[in-house]
Amino acid sequence: MAQPSSLLNDRRTLVFVLLAPVLAFFIVFNTIPTLWLLGLSFYNYSLTSGMPPEFVGFTNFVNIFFNRNGIWSDLSRTFIFVACAVSLQTLLGLMLGFLFWGSRNMPGRRIALTLLFTPMVLTPVATGTFWRFIYDPTFGALNALMGLFGATEPINFLGDPTFAYWAVLAVDCWMWTPFMTLMTLAALGSVPKAELEAAEVDRLTWFEQLRLIVWHHGKFILMLGMLLRTIDSFKTLDLIIPMTNGGPGQQTRLVAVELNKQAFQSFNMGWSSAYAVLLLLISIAMTSVFIHVLNLRRRRERS
Amino acid sequence: MSDTGIVIDGVTKRFGSFTAVDNLNITFADGETACLLGPSGCGKTTLMRMIAGLETPTEGRIIIDGRDVTDLRPRRRNIGMVFQYPVMYQTLSVRENIALPLKRDRNLSASDRTKRVDEVLEVIDLVDRADTYIDELDAGSRQKVAVGRSVARQTKVVLFDEPTTNVEVNAKLTLIRTFKEISRRLKQTAIYVTHDQTEAMTLADRIALMKDGSIIQYDGPTALYQKPASEFGGWFLGNPGMNFIPAERTAAGLASPLLSSPLAAPDALGSGTVRLGIRPEQLDARAEPFEGSVEAKVEDCIVGIAGQLLARLSVAGETVKLKTGALPSMRAQDTIHIGFPADELLVFEDGVRVP
Repeated sequence: MAQPSSLLNDRRTLVFVLLAPVLAFFIVFNTIPTLWLLGLSFYNYSLTSGMPPEFVGFTNFVNIFFNRNGIWSDLSRTFIFVACAVSLQTLLGLMLGFLFWGSRNMPGRRIALTLLFTPMVLTPVATGTFWRFIYDPTFGALNALMGLFGATEPINFLGDPTFAYWAVLAVDCWMWTPFMTLMTLAALGSVPKAELEAAEVDRLTWFEQLRLIVWHHGKFILMLGMLLRTIDSFKTLDLIIPMTNGGPGQQTRLVAVELNKQAFQSFNMGWSSAYAVLLLLISIAMTSVFIHVLNLRRRRERS
Repeated sequence: MSDTGIVIDGVTKRFGSFTAVDNLNITFADGETACLLGPSGCGKTTLMRMIAGLETPTEGRIIIDGRDVTDLRPRRRNIGMVFQYPVMYQTLSVRENIALPLKRDRNLSASDRTKRVDEVLEVIDLVDRADTYIDELDAGSRQKVAVGRSVARQTKVVLFDEPTTNVEVNAKLTLIRTFKEISRRLKQTAIYVTHDQTEAMTLADRIALMKDGSIIQYDGPTALYQKPASEFGGWFLGNPGMNFIPAERTAAGLASPLLSSPLAAPDALGSGTVRLGIRPEQLDARAEPFEGSVEAKVEDCIVGIAGQLLARLSVAGETVKLKTGALPSMRAQDTIHIGFPADELLVFEDGVRVP
């Protein structure tokens, strides 16, 4: 405490030195590419044409906005996908989570949990591939199973425009419901046992227990899980490519599929960058809404 | 068997191969404040949780007011309970917290309910903070709210599971005062689990001293302190615990190198190993030799509370603890003189006191 100013200087240097590696990493691998992307979105730049990048202002954005069957239909498809996927997965995850929470002394619980979490740890491309085989109209397991129950005509789940979207959604749920189960279990694990015991002694109904104790302690983790799922399912790509690759027609063409196609199959880098910037903005908006909602609840509690 | 109070009838609780509570029988009388006291792992909390219904006994029955509650869920037992951690419903205010358990009582009118909550708020001294929320309360006040909530229903039985463990010292005292006030006013049967002997001594009408899943002694605080039924009781209670010195049978009585004259042997004495017990503060310690005194060397000496000195003495090859206010200038390596008052000496045979 003898020389506060030099101490402060030392501390500042120390803080900077300690932060430097992370900051460098962040700038090199995050900030620079993002800025690069932003810059590129104002250029007409195709890797196949061999022409140097040409500054075109907002032309890329204008093209994206006014393209028929373009971003608007992809976005609406994606938003429905996200909404359905997240709500279904949360619902199923909650049900499974409560099931496993309530059966703590059941024999075989650990094995069941391990099996339940398997889909989550698989590579999405592998999942997509074997689900394509399961859905296959001629030799697929699902159609064979339905045949056993009396279905006469095989259904081409991934080729039929009526089914393809929902078939993909079902696989996404199959894959990611375990994640929401895990988050539910984590949320329930954060509920202090003593409070539940007190609630039992105090004769609270199960609904009061849920509202006053379980929700109070578990909501943050659960909302976090939903946020992660929202962001993640907004970017769904690797699951769709092996299954439908956006088809039939454009039935399963989500924004990420379209972006992937434009950037890495057609090599329209300028256009793709503009598209990516828009997706980034939407992601940021969604995250902000979630975080705002979480903070809002906490602020309300405090007041 | 009595019809009132809590009867524990041959209760055993095993967790796997570990026996937490071992074939225990005890009756807690109606309206009494009983403390379950014992070292960690002695089964006191398990016993209380079984009375609450949060654990089911492996064997035996629990009867509250003549009703066998062994297989009833906690909500059907008409009990209140205060936990080690201050449990509050955190989204509710103090008043709402206390009122919540009353909601199930259909025969209470709204005004009765308000009246009762107000009463409780007054007893726990939180009237002016009735509408505050949990984050504005310190741990002590939170625990007070938890106490208020469990007594508001005016159940037959209130259970306290080490409620002051997570509360800082000053708040502890006000909490204990609150407990006394409440038990005096409401005349509920209270069972209070603690490992803090001071707390047990202050609060309890009777203390059940527990060890290894059994009750060693169930008696009033004074009796428990002055006439412990076993060496364990003497050692566990008191700070520091009781001194035990080996003694031999002679024709004249029980003799020990520490005693100037043998002690008359009690009639009921058997043939087991005999030890004599005396509390450190009951030793007569002086600087000069006196009638019946023996010489003692001070091994080390620390200042206790309120001018009391705690010392470890070596007397005829035995170590004896001393607590005294009579020798303020005592230092380590000093030679002092101590006497064992014959009427304060307790005789233990194989760890059990011989009356």
